[in-house]
Amino acid sequence: MQRRIPLLIVLITGIFGAVAFFVPYPAIRSADEIMRNDVQRIIAAFSLVLGVGSIVQHHLIKIQRKAQFWQYSYITLIALVITAIIGLFGGIDIARPGVLPTRLGNFSFHIQTIYSNMMVPLAATMFSLLAFFMSSAAYRAFRARNLEATLLLLAAFIMMLGAVPLGRLIHRELPAFAEWILAVPNTASKRGILFGVELGIFATSLKIILGIERGWLGGGGK
Amino acid sequence: MSTTRENVLIRLQKIDRRWIYLVLWLVVMIPLLFPFKIQPQPSPTVEKLFNYIDTMPENKALAISVDFTPDTRAELQPMVVALMRHAFAQKRRVGLLAISVYGLGLAEEAIQQVTAEFNTNARTHEDSVIYGEDYVFWGWTTPVLTVMLGMGERITNVFPVDYYGNRTESLPIMRYIKNYDDIGILVTIAASAIPRSWINYAQVQFGVNLSCGITAVSAADFYPYVNSGQFIGMLAGMKGAAEYEQLVAQRMKKNGMDWALRNRGTEAMSSQTAAHLAIMAFIVIGNIAYFATRRKRK
Repeated sequence: MQRRIPLLIVLITGIFGAVAFFVPYPAIRSADEIMRNDVQRIIAAFSLVLGVGSIVQHHLIKIQRKAQFWQYSYITLIALVITAIIGLFGGIDIARPGVLPTRLGNFSFHIQTIYSNMMVPLAATMFSLLAFFMSSAAYRAFRARNLEATLLLLAAFIMMLGAVPLGRLIHRELPAFAEWILAVPNTASKRGILFGVELGIFATSLKIILGIERGWLGGGGK
Repeated sequence: MSTTRENVLIRLQKIDRRWIYLVLWLVVMIPLLFPFKIQPQPSPTVEKLFNYIDTMPENKALAISVDFTPDTRAELQPMVVALMRHAFAQKRRVGLLAISVYGLGLAEEAIQQVTAEFNTNARTHEDSVIYGEDYVFWGWTTPVLTVMLGMGERITNVFPVDYYGNRTESLPIMRYIKNYDDIGILVTIAASAIPRSWINYAQVQFGVNLSCGITAVSAADFYPYVNSGQFIGMLAGMKGAAEYEQLVAQRMKKNGMDWALRNRGTEAMSSQTAAHLAIMAFIVIGNIAYFATRRKRK
């Protein structure tokens, strides 16, 4: 029973979701609208509770057990609580204040201020590190060892030059040639890959809807 | 091969990676501080999107879905800004939304910047842009499917309140933007596979016109959709943003809005050019050192 009910829910909602996409009958349409606008939103709200609960539990256990880098868990939890409180009650910015005072003299800590001055630089810094790893990898590993690697290297050169305005200065047709590589050989191979991927998604979805694939239930699909 | 040259090549092969990091850092930083002027020439995909928005019927709105996260802000935020400037310069209504929560802050930044630019420089009331009349920020809601399919039926049902807490039904602009039928084009700015979902749900079901602005590395993934006509043009990476900025700057000049606004994408092109050249130089040097020492070993 514990397994049959979830499998039945997936079977019914899966088939309904697929059918509703193709059947314009008003009753099906309105039921589909309720499923999307109400049921899915309620499920999404529960997933938020689960998500917050999971992250809090994970870090509390880490602190309790004094696991590696447990001190950072305090930062995560404190940041989570403070950001949530400011986001919920502190308003968006100076022009749109909330019920919670989020200004000390000239210093404001509204959610938009926190986002623009903490979240954005931190995320940008992490992403920027990729450029350094990429350049190091390009220097150490990008070798023209055989024909395939040489072709890859040449294509990379053309694309890199085509992706900056300097390419046009080297040769007028270089950006157009880079565009052609993307539009023709790349598209041809991508289409093939996409067909394969979509067929794979279709097959896996069918297996889940029909209850053949049960890994999502937990317990290794037994 | 002389021993000295051989030693140099061996040392080049074993160079400490921190030297590479330092060179790249300098190559990125110096052009940012002392930029050299580069005038990007619009590519066909960028021109196609620009021309479409430029000649869009007056009663149709531009929708921008801010679907990226702060890590790709440098590359993608200039696209949102340029698209908003273009729509406002052409007196088209704009609606913004975010598929990811992270997009909210980025969209808000772009709104604050562009509306300040227009309202500071406006000479008449008609030149200014007013919230709820000329633009609306619907905000974010979940799940994705609800947004993409629901907007085809009635946008106010999907977003009963906007980002600022106003009832969307009460906003005058919503009398003109009811669903996808009133949207001339929806441009999704993303660093993920979200543009594909817009095609799968919004376009296949409701036929809405779509385009996308994506990071340079993911451009290859979306070319099949540009070729098939499912995306009307595309902005790829910082170069795409810079090209669009140039087209918008020309349009604004023609419309008497020569305000000398900052174009972040164009400004960053000198740094990106230098970085690309540096990486190419790294590859060449790495290969020379590799082949020279390999030949010697044989």
